[in-house]
Amino acid sequence: MPTLRDIRGRIRGVQSTQKITKAMKMVAAAKLRRAQDAIINARPYAKKISVTLGRLIGDEERENSIYLAEKENVENILLVVVTADRGLCGAFNTNIIKEATAYHKKMMKEEGKNVDLFCIGKKGYDFFRKRDFNVVGNAVGVFQGLNPDKSNQLADLIIKPYVEGKYDQIYFVYNEFKSVVSQKIISEDFLPITVRFNPEEKKYIDNYIYEPSRKKIVEYMLPKYLQNQVWRVLLESNAAEFGARMTAMDNATTNASDLMKSLRLTYNKARQAAITKEILEIVSGANALKKSGS
Amino acid sequence: MKEFDLEIVTPARVCYTGKVESVTVPGSLGEFQVLVNHAPILSTFEIGGIKVVENKESSLYFATSGGTVDVIQNKVLILANAAEKPEEIDVARAEKSAERARNRIRESGKEIDIMRAEASLARALNRIKISTWR
Repeated sequence: MPTLRDIRGRIRGVQSTQKITKAMKMVAAAKLRRAQDAIINARPYAKKISVTLGRLIGDEERENSIYLAEKENVENILLVVVTADRGLCGAFNTNIIKEATAYHKKMMKEEGKNVDLFCIGKKGYDFFRKRDFNVVGNAVGVFQGLNPDKSNQLADLIIKPYVEGKYDQIYFVYNEFKSVVSQKIISEDFLPITVRFNPEEKKYIDNYIYEPSRKKIVEYMLPKYLQNQVWRVLLESNAAEFGARMTAMDNATTNASDLMKSLRLTYNKARQAAITKEILEIVSGANALKKSGS
Repeated sequence: MKEFDLEIVTPARVCYTGKVESVTVPGSLGEFQVLVNHAPILSTFEIGGIKVVENKESSLYFATSGGTVDVIQNKVLILANAAEKPEEIDVARAEKSAERARNRIRESGKEIDIMRAEASLARALNRIKISTWR
């Protein structure tokens, strides 16, 4: 049976933890709003650029561009894992790590391919570098002061080994921001680009005028498209992270309240028991005196 | 029907959507205007100004730093790297960045730095120029 003092100490502990989780929740909520605006405003461009790009890519482009050509034998894969830099955001990082590990295992063991990892975000990097994975690159701290320049540099870093022929495929695993309370894990191909044109549009596409030339526009758009993809992924993951953290901290705050409630009950019961015991002792003592006196 | 659909989208946001009578863009092979029933065209465009005529009374301008324009079936999609209305342009900031670019061109020895600085200078000057358009 814990003493009254123990219980009081625990209540105080829970209380201060709750203060912290509450503050973290508020901070996450404020940051979430900005991150959410950023991704929602960025989505239309990401969607439209693949529409326009789709109108440019025919069989000829597919064969001639390194970004588009699909390799017959895929042997080396670069897996880009996007986690957060910080924890305390529920299952956000764990889920991504789980998904990436499963993919890694499937490709290595079942299909006999070589998979290297590129970790965006500190949590994923910390996990994978300590284990039996070949981490070839990392980007820790990109989410602090996230801007297009940083993102473009990162994109170039990821694309470079592909262009050099070190990898046959680049694959992304990241969290997509669905709503404040839910994130969706997305695994998708990054390179080669799988954008295709809509067959219904073919009759218009054949009549397109291209300025300066189809080739030039494709050359201009492909790197732009890839950079934008990375930018979008970063924004998605960033917004999802704050959503996850806010939810996690909200749960933690509620749990702390519940815990405090039950601790208070135990405390009050123990206090009452102590008082009852004392009264009992006094009364029985008084009774004993009365008996011996008479 | 003299109108067609126009969308101007940048990586940061959707800048404009609506029905317009004409749009003029600084195409890579020279400025061109798109009117209703324009033939399908896909073109890149350079640093400059986009002019949007909504109707006789109202037209809008955007300062842009390049992108692509895609015209198909009376739907015009402009994917711009950046697009700002004249009243949104922070002229003081643009002047500062022009100054920075000039210094870099003067001081830097590397060709790639100079190229970057020149592009940045051109963007800044364009923004200053377009900030006066109404």
